[in-house]
Amino acid sequence: MSDSEDYENKPQEEFTAEELILPPCKYEYLDHTADVQIHAWGDSLIEAFEQCGVAMYGYMTEIDKVEILRSTEIEVKGSDLTNLLFMFLDELLYVFSAEEFLVCKKLVITEFNVNPPEGEDLSIKCKCYGEEFTLGKHPQGTEVKAITYASMQIINEPEKNKFEVFVIIDI
Amino acid sequence: MVVRQYAQELEYLEKLNPYCWRIKKGFQPNMKVEGIFYVNAPLEKLMLEELRNSCRPGMTGGFLPGVKQIANVAALPGIVGKSIGLPDVHSGYGFAIGNMAAFDMNDPESIVSPGGVGFDINCGVRLLRTNLFEKDVLPVKEQLAQSLFDHIPVGVGSKGIIPMNAKDLEEALEMGMDWSLREGYIWAEDKEHCEEYGRMLNADPAKVSTRAKKRGLPQLGTLGAGNHYAEIQVVEEIYDKWAACKMGIEEKGQVCVMIHSGSRGFGHQVATDALVSMEKAMKRDNIETNDRQLACARINSPEGQDYLKSMAAAANFAWVNRSSMTFLTRQAFAKQFNMAPDDLDMHVIYDVSHNIAKVEEHIVDGKQKTLLVHRKGSTRAFPPHHPLIPVDYQLTGQPVLIGGTMGTCSYVLTGTEQGMLETFGSTCHGAGRALSRAKSRRNIEYTEVLRKLEDSGISIRVASPKLVMEEAPESYKNVTDVVNTCHAAGISKKCIKLRPIAVIKG
Repeated sequence: MSDSEDYENKPQEEFTAEELILPPCKYEYLDHTADVQIHAWGDSLIEAFEQCGVAMYGYMTEIDKVEILRSTEIEVKGSDLTNLLFMFLDELLYVFSAEEFLVCKKLVITEFNVNPPEGEDLSIKCKCYGEEFTLGKHPQGTEVKAITYASMQIINEPEKNKFEVFVIIDI
Repeated sequence: MVVRQYAQELEYLEKLNPYCWRIKKGFQPNMKVEGIFYVNAPLEKLMLEELRNSCRPGMTGGFLPGVKQIANVAALPGIVGKSIGLPDVHSGYGFAIGNMAAFDMNDPESIVSPGGVGFDINCGVRLLRTNLFEKDVLPVKEQLAQSLFDHIPVGVGSKGIIPMNAKDLEEALEMGMDWSLREGYIWAEDKEHCEEYGRMLNADPAKVSTRAKKRGLPQLGTLGAGNHYAEIQVVEEIYDKWAACKMGIEEKGQVCVMIHSGSRGFGHQVATDALVSMEKAMKRDNIETNDRQLACARINSPEGQDYLKSMAAAANFAWVNRSSMTFLTRQAFAKQFNMAPDDLDMHVIYDVSHNIAKVEEHIVDGKQKTLLVHRKGSTRAFPPHHPLIPVDYQLTGQPVLIGGTMGTCSYVLTGTEQGMLETFGSTCHGAGRALSRAKSRRNIEYTEVLRKLEDSGISIRVASPKLVMEEAPESYKNVTDVVNTCHAAGISKKCIKLRPIAVIKG
């Protein structure tokens, strides 16, 4: 199959120039016996979360074959920070696996509420940019079955400018 | 978490015989019963190496070693007998993969754990026979492999081709293979040769989240990725001629088809949803475990009951899934050979589940008890005369299907009386990983893997060839070691060895 010329590449909505700027790659895949561990980082916890999400899509296909043609918005809640990251990735997996079949190249968290008033949930709103996963255009990588809490780590040390997350995904 | 030196850890392990080790109480805190695991010499080395690595200072890897996980399971409320590690055991999420454990249904403290079933609920193996021989298939092997690959949707993002809407899905979840039969995808006798006759009666689709259903709908009738595959195999060796005959396997060279798949995104989401809801139930009911990943709930709690009902729906999904692919396989063969699947004698030999929890009757300390048996990466292996196995196999014992890794051999075993007594009628499920995926990627070239397969006369059709080294035989334990250990330990008996001639995978 030749390059993406064979496919309809028209954006299905209007994007601003800023929206089409691609983020740098700030993630890696670490060694793990049965599964894969994602290590993502950034200049803020928000960026580390965004990178972690893109890293998951990167395991499902080759991200550079994905174009920004569509977007969707997700909203998730969590009882604590680790639960929030779990729910965030679970939602991104859902966006890929059902209805929209969206594979994302860029994630922009627009609301990141991690210090809610006592008794309320933490929440994230995120804009997801990408396109519908299309066999033939997007190489098939590995299927992600689920997100796990196994050795999940969130390093949030603003004083050291250190923001990192570690997540094991079940594949 | 207990921190000890490797030498100190070893004091808690005792080798009972060349195939079996005991894990004494105290190896992990609060062990209610002992642990046991089955390994031969090469597998023993892998097992102990995993433990030794975890004793090194500064180890912060993802999962505990398998032997520790077996011991943590032995500390769960309501466990009876022993926490058992089968020869292909390796570390997994909460429970080790290749770990089985039984819980007393009549003990109000007893728990059910989604981690004891796994994310891929009712992942399993199905074996179809044909009346073809290797010489009939070899001339058209490439065409047949291509045709199977074209018929069965494989890999990430592929969608099922069996027409389904939301209402069909609800019915399929409730009815399992009865749905496939009603819709005309399978033969009536296929059901006979499935565990539970391809339908768990306690399935309740109303207990399943919309999210799981939406993930499941497009994926019904797809193979998936990772270690899932469909293989055309030939009989390489027959160890038990009489039992093989009962399965319709007459002689060496006979062609079979093996399908290894599960409940796809549907099951994965059911498991994820249950883990989230059980976390809360654990806090409420003060259930203490050694490992946060061992999320569980009392069997009789609402969370426990809801999980069992939705797990049963996922099990039904998996049976319908394998049935749909059986239909597609029969179509592919029928077109290639211009004969009806009937005339090709494409019967289901058997269908096993190796990620599931079931209510079963067992004898514990001389008394009959009703148990909730968790098998994660472990296959049921009931002995001859057991009431739950089909009439065709009453005298041989239940056929146990052990799928090898890509390009290696697979086995059919039969259940034994000794297995019923020692391991609650359970045995191994496959090879079990030995190398991490990342390590496989670094050490093995995918072109090399494909060339090796070609050299050994195996046609391969794979959706993501660049990832094929993750599934290379070198990444796994040797399935022959695993099966020989089960045979030598007496927990199941070798019957047939199969060799692949074509592999289709994600």
